[in-house]
Amino acid sequence: MSVLDRPALEHDVTLVELVDRVLNKGVVLSGDIMLSVAGVDLVYVGLRVLLTSVSALEEHR
Amino acid sequence: MIESPAATAWYVYGIVAAGAAAHDEVRLIEQGGLAAVAREVPLAEFGEDSLPQRLNDREWLEASVLAHEGVLQAFVETGVVPLRFGAIYRDAREVERMLEARSAFFHSALSRLGGHVEIGVKGWLVAPGPPPRRAEATAAGGRAYLERRRDELAAARASADRVVDAVRNVHRQLFAVAVDGVVNRPQPKELTDRSDEMVLNAAYLVPVGDRTLVQTVLRVAAESAEAGIELEVTGPWPPYNFVPDDEEPDE
Repeated sequence: MSVLDRPALEHDVTLVELVDRVLNKGVVLSGDIMLSVAGVDLVYVGLRVLLTSVSALEEHR
Repeated sequence: MIESPAATAWYVYGIVAAGAAAHDEVRLIEQGGLAAVAREVPLAEFGEDSLPQRLNDREWLEASVLAHEGVLQAFVETGVVPLRFGAIYRDAREVERMLEARSAFFHSALSRLGGHVEIGVKGWLVAPGPPPRRAEATAAGGRAYLERRRDELAAARASADRVVDAVRNVHRQLFAVAVDGVVNRPQPKELTDRSDEMVLNAAYLVPVGDRTLVQTVLRVAAESAEAGIELEVTGPWPPYNFVPDDEEPDE
């Protein structure tokens, strides 16, 4: 099985837990990143996507 | 810039010590005793023009975030300094130059984080005190109403104080047995999939294989349950919460 396909953790972890770490934590290198995502607030984008999905789920109830 | 569909760039997930065992999907780009865990990615997905839109595509974001975490998990026991999502370089030579410029920074980060993992601990308020009864104000009972209302507010304040004390106590005991610890803002209810309120969102750095923290969680869980707080443990994670601050090149 490909390491990119397999679930990252064996137990149940919500996506927000992952997003919280992968998009909000970790080293940010300044200066020489070729394709910076400057101007795009990753935290905001990530959370907005999640909020959208939450409201979409509720609409379908 | 015109991007042909075949054009690629290098996405860097994290930094490990040179000589670490690679796996199929990633390449280790080595320089000066360090190695960047990298993957060649299509610019059509990760280019400046497409990335902002992709970030709003929930399925794409979910898959990419999982992939990032999945790659780092493979290096978690040998030691990895996680980079934040979206560190993308034009070619391998640029990645080498970055490792060269940040050499001291990454060597020091690796010596601190290597052999350590992050354990997440969340506290959920599962048993809030009973909601204050709605007191009816009547012409005859105005004074009684005000007194009852005052007592209810005092009780609510005391109950909130108990929760804060219990959360502080949990963190104090876990921090005491961890190498390091951070308390993040609790996630709002709209983002978690629980109806309970999150009252603790912490992460602790512990040596790989060390069970002391988890054993301590089990011990303090009994105490915190009395205050209506349920503890939840996640991980082990790569040490996302413990990377050193953003910095400039060494030179």
